[in-house]
Amino acid sequence: MSDRALAARTAPDPDLADVRAAQADRAAFATLYRRYLDPVYGYCFYLLGDHHDAEDVTERTFLAAMAALDRFRDTGSTFRSWLFRIAHNQLANALRSRSRHRTAPLTAAGDPPSGDDPAGHADRADEARRLRSAISRLPDDRRQVVVLRFVDGLSAREIGVVLDRSPAAVRVLQHRALRDLARLLDEDGGGR
Amino acid sequence: MTHTLSPAERLDRAVDGLLDGLSPSVASAAAGLDAAMRPLVAVAAGLRSSLVVPPASSRFEARLGTRLASPAERDPIGWALRHPGRLIVTGAVGSAVGVGVTAYAVWRSSRRAGAAHRLLHR
Repeated sequence: MSDRALAARTAPDPDLADVRAAQADRAAFATLYRRYLDPVYGYCFYLLGDHHDAEDVTERTFLAAMAALDRFRDTGSTFRSWLFRIAHNQLANALRSRSRHRTAPLTAAGDPPSGDDPAGHADRADEARRLRSAISRLPDDRRQVVVLRFVDGLSAREIGVVLDRSPAAVRVLQHRALRDLARLLDEDGGGR
Repeated sequence: MTHTLSPAERLDRAVDGLLDGLSPSVASAAAGLDAAMRPLVAVAAGLRSSLVVPPASSRFEARLGTRLASPAERDPIGWALRHPGRLIVTGAVGSAVGVGVTAYAVWRSSRRAGAAHRLLHR
């Protein structure tokens, strides 16, 4: 078991029973799919800035995860961090491909779908736009930490597994990202 | 032996508190953050409240769900073995394309070689 995998686990993996069921019968993968579709999609959307590209990478992630499910072992890292690691690799491929073809910054992507409340919360939408604009100006590793931590709620230990960094390195990245964001929002006339 | 937390560790504890639903001031105090770090907790609170997870569209969810449930995706090797006819057709089409491309390449190179030969012996 790797040090990072060990460090990623302080509590039992809440998904483990469902993973075992899906390893025995792929039909049970639907439970994990429903649980993680939106978080994985959100991670992809915030890093790609485009709904269609995010759907494409999300699809590749789940297909790869289902194909590799038998290789997941309860040896330290959680299923969630394992799944996001796959998404991270798929995102890296997509971003490499995009750099060869075109770019679509997060700020140009428009707001995420508003669900049941499309018209309301104009202030929150404005705040979200300012934050997305600031996030898009962060270095890639800090942007990844911000999205995984604040959009998907992963712990520093889990993010360490996803990004192949130590938890301490992730905490330092988080500290620097928040400091950068505070400065960028301030320059933007923010801090409102 | 006591371990003195670094600023990054204390900030991470405050973020843990925020993600657990504490207010920025309570999370900062619980993590023992000094005044200089509190603006960072305010930024973190803004991220927490503003960056919602955008839901995937229901059409995409249904389409991918259907694909994941298909036998070919669930068990591709078993599915292929249970459908040998499709494997044979795929193999035959692939072979035909390969033979066609090779024949064309041979024909092109022989034409060029013939032209070069005629030029040399004119």
